[in-house]
Amino acid sequence: MTDALMATGALIRDTFREALARKIFWGLFGLSLVMILFFLFILKIDIVEGGVATVSLFGGTSNRTQDVDRIVRGVYGGIATFLYTWGMFLSVFASSGLIASVLEPGRIELLVSKPVSRTHILLGRYAGNVLVVSCNVIFLVLGIWTILGLKTGIWSGTFLISIATTIFIFAVLLGVVVLTGVLFESTALSTMVTVALMIMSPILAQTGLMMRLLSSEWSRGIWRTLYYSLPKVYDMGKMTLDAIQSRTFSGFMPIWTSALFGAVMLSAALAVFSRRDF
Amino acid sequence: MQSEYAIETTGLAKVYRSRWTRREVRAVDGISLRVPRGTIFGLLGPNGAGKTTFVKLLLSAVHPTEGNALIFGRNANDPEARRPIGYLPENHRFPTYFTGAGMLDFYAALSGLDSPSRKKLIPEMLELVGLKDWGNVRLGKYSKGMLQRIGLAQALIHSPSMLILDEPTDGVDPVGRRHMREILSRFEEKGVTIFINSHLLVEVELFCREVAILDKGKVALSGNLHDLRAGKGYRLTIASQTPETLLDQLRAKATSAAARDGMVDLQFATREQVNEAVDLLRSQRCDIEALVPTTSTLEEVFVRTVEK
Repeated sequence: MTDALMATGALIRDTFREALARKIFWGLFGLSLVMILFFLFILKIDIVEGGVATVSLFGGTSNRTQDVDRIVRGVYGGIATFLYTWGMFLSVFASSGLIASVLEPGRIELLVSKPVSRTHILLGRYAGNVLVVSCNVIFLVLGIWTILGLKTGIWSGTFLISIATTIFIFAVLLGVVVLTGVLFESTALSTMVTVALMIMSPILAQTGLMMRLLSSEWSRGIWRTLYYSLPKVYDMGKMTLDAIQSRTFSGFMPIWTSALFGAVMLSAALAVFSRRDF
Repeated sequence: MQSEYAIETTGLAKVYRSRWTRREVRAVDGISLRVPRGTIFGLLGPNGAGKTTFVKLLLSAVHPTEGNALIFGRNANDPEARRPIGYLPENHRFPTYFTGAGMLDFYAALSGLDSPSRKKLIPEMLELVGLKDWGNVRLGKYSKGMLQRIGLAQALIHSPSMLILDEPTDGVDPVGRRHMREILSRFEEKGVTIFINSHLLVEVELFCREVAILDKGKVALSGNLHDLRAGKGYRLTIASQTPETLLDQLRAKATSAAARDGMVDLQFATREQVNEAVDLLRSQRCDIEALVPTTSTLEEVFVRTVEK
């Protein structure tokens, strides 16, 4: 194994170790487990000839005959929405501490004194964070997918897309966490800035409506600039939902513009980190 | 890259500027210093002299405003220049979620040690620093002295060619200090350069061969410790039965005089003064018990240097 790979492995293991010690990993894991257990024990579906005979939830039973596929896709859509809102918020909240902690005086000096470049150190930490969240997302999505598959006999692969899209948008937002972390060394500020971007996303996504409502060309220009340059958490969530519901979606622009934003954030963070004195 | 110097700095400076007022603070002000390979070098200075900034410049934790630093002939900015260095920082904060062994494993991996070597060396290092039974205990349970020792172990684990130790005995009890000195002596015998930044003058005096005293970001004094301490004066010891009038004459020439066990110790500042005293004593056929050149303590050298 080369020195670079060994150092990367050590940095990723260290991030996991810290996430476990801070109960971040277990917190996310516990939440995922609760959701999986919810679907395992609370939701009961009886199927007769391809249709739902009864749906039982919290002891209440419905006898409406519905298409199993629609129910399953609805549940998948709900989970994907949860992942894109509360799941993402919790992940950002959990990860912001993992970036700021590594910059603590007395810790960072020793880290940068090792024969590893600063770019390598920050990217190793970044990768560790993404992997911590990825483990939980994979656990949650695969868990629910397996349970619903076993209960309904429907194995819809499109739900698994939410693993990739959730991890992707988290990786983009983590770029913001890392940049604000290396600039200000504040967990609270990193969380605030990132959550603010998440909140702005559904508002900015109303571009069509706003183009009609805004009176001046420059204000429309500002809106468009903000929409195209900031990460599209809402659009990505909608794309995932559309994929799960087998609806068509309009282009891949949200993916590449968000990826570009994440790359710019991460590059800026690396540049700041490389120039900083500790 | 081969170089006869472990550390070589040329006009190294670090200027901190206030973001709003643009006021400048020259933490390190044009330091040119050479530390030969295999030396035990002590860096001294009052608080705020720029010692820690200088160490951080060597490790590239701080970027220089002017000048450059070479580590074994390689630019300090190059991560490879840090490979032969083992560093123990001042006021370190090792993550408390680590066990002793886990912490050594992490930093050894970053230093380029492969997994089989780490597995072999970790128990050896724990034993070396007297923490053999503490390897599986979290660092949160360690005392300050134990943290210093595990810190020393992480600095040593990859067999560095140079150790940079910032206040290494801070928080360590006298027995622990002695143990640390013994460990460092073993590495000195192997030819490892040891660079110690310490405010404990006694520690430096006991251990270092070369020193530099920093003051206001500049090197105020540097050289071989023996040479720096030499040249304080001479101590003349005579019997207390020496006639009182003669003793009075000698006391007048001496910088100090002290009686002990039937003897009188007279301290003279220069060779001329002590020669005059000897001539006086011999002219009156008085016995001289001893005449020895005396040296300054490092503390005296330090105080003289920074109070200039």
